[in-house]
Amino acid sequence: MKVSVDRSVCQNHGQCAIAAPEVFDIADDGELVYEPEPSDEFEADVEDAADVCPVQAILVGSAG
Amino acid sequence: MTVSASRSAAPYFDISDPAFSVQSEQVRAARDASWYAETNYGLAILRYEEVNRLMKDRRLRQGSAAWPAHNGVTEGPFADWFASWILNKEGDDHKRLRRLLNPAFSPKLLASLVPRFQELANELIDAFHDTGHCDFVAQFGEPYAARVIAIMLGIPEEEWPRIAGLSTTIGLSLGVTIKDDLPEIETALAGLYEYGDELIESRRREPRDDFMTRLVQAERDDDKLSHQELRDTLALLVFGGYDTTRNQLGLAMQAFVRNPDQWRLLAERPELGKAAVEEVMRVNPTVTWVTREALEDFTFQDIDIEAGTTIHLFSESAGTDPRVMAGGFDITAERPPHFGFGGGAHHCLGHFVARSDMSEALPLLARRLLEPRIDGDATWLPLSGNTGPTRLPLSFQQGTKR
Repeated sequence: MKVSVDRSVCQNHGQCAIAAPEVFDIADDGELVYEPEPSDEFEADVEDAADVCPVQAILVGSAG
Repeated sequence: MTVSASRSAAPYFDISDPAFSVQSEQVRAARDASWYAETNYGLAILRYEEVNRLMKDRRLRQGSAAWPAHNGVTEGPFADWFASWILNKEGDDHKRLRRLLNPAFSPKLLASLVPRFQELANELIDAFHDTGHCDFVAQFGEPYAARVIAIMLGIPEEEWPRIAGLSTTIGLSLGVTIKDDLPEIETALAGLYEYGDELIESRRREPRDDFMTRLVQAERDDDKLSHQELRDTLALLVFGGYDTTRNQLGLAMQAFVRNPDQWRLLAERPELGKAAVEEVMRVNPTVTWVTREALEDFTFQDIDIEAGTTIHLFSESAGTDPRVMAGGFDITAERPPHFGFGGGAHHCLGHFVARSDMSEALPLLARRLLEPRIDGDATWLPLSGNTGPTRLPLSFQQGTKR
C-alpha cells in the first residue's frame, strides 16, 4: 500500500503515530516521519491513522 | 539550577485573581513585550509560535492530573474517576486507550448524524422564533449540547435535562470549592455511571450500528476496554462534551453579535459553517488555556524550565497573535490552525463531533435569527479556565421560518 501526508496541512500532532506506530513516528525534533510504502499487514492501522488525523492530512492508496 | 537572568524581567499575572482575564489589555501588552509571563501558578505562554511548539513538546505532560490532590481530594469515587481520564494518562497507558477509543470518533460516522443535528437545531429555534427573543444558553446552547450527546450515545433525547444537570454538577469539580462540593459531585458521578452501565449492557445484548456499540466492541491487538474503563470513559464523554459545546455556542453568538456583517454572510453562505466554528474558536475559545507540566529540566529558547513547572498555554492569546494572524474576525480568511482543541497527543478526542454539530447549528441560527443583539443582563463565567455565558438574552428579527 501507499501512504502520503500533505505536509502543508500536517501539524505534527502525532495521532497517526499512536494509531499506526510501525508506519508513523514523531522524531526527536517534533517532525513527522513515515514509511510511504508500508506492508499491507498494517492496512487497518494506517486506515485508523488517516481517519483520526485531526487535520485529515493523510492519504491512503493501494500500491500499483 | 539557577533561574535564567531574563526570567525576573518577564511580565507577571495573578491568574487566581477573579478579575484576571486572558483577553485583557494586560495580557496583550505582555504578549507584545515577551513570549511568556510568570504567574502565581507557573508560566503562561502568550505567542502562537511558542504555544504551537510547547503544545506538542514531549518533554511536557498534560498538566491537570494533580488537580484534585492539590485541593485535598485524594481518594474516593471522584478521585478514582479523575485518575482514569484519558486526559490524565501518559505514555503507553494513554496510547492504549487512545487506540481503543479513536475508531468510535471517526469523522466518517458523523456524516449520517448531520440531518439529526440540523433537525434538532431547527426544533429548538422553532420554540422561540416567533417571540423575537430568547435566552440563548437556556433555550439553545444547553438543550443542543445535551441532546447531541443523547443522540451520540443513544439515550432518549427527552432525558436531556438530567444529562445537563449531572454534567453541570460534575463541573463543580473544576472549581476551587471542589472539596466542599464533593458529596454532590460524587452523587452526580454515580448518576453518569448508571447511564453507562445501562448502555453498555444494552449494546452487549443487542449491538446496533452506532457509536456506543463501537465503543463496547472496540478491540485492538486482542485488547479490549474493561467494563470499568467503559463506564469511566462514558462519564468523561458526557461531561467533556456537554459543558464545552454549550459554552462554545454561547461564545460564538457573542462573537457574531460583535460582527453583524459576518453573521449576515454566514446566513447567505451556510457552507461557511465549518470556517465559522474555526474562527470563533480562534478568537473566543471556551478553553482559555491548556495546561502542561514539565517532565524534566530543559532549556527552551532563552529560559530554563525546571521539572514540575506548570505551563499554561494561552489559547486565545496565541490565536490572535499579530505575528501570525491578520487582525479582525473573518470567516472567509485562510488562517493557521487555532488551539481551541489543544494539540499533540492529547488533542481533543471529540473534536470531530464538536466541529460537526456546531458547524450545522450556526448557519441555521444565522438564517433564522437576524441582526441578533444582547438584550438584557448576560452573565459570564470568569475569563480564565473554561469560560462562557451562563445567561445570554438575545433579541433578533425573524428570519426564515425554516
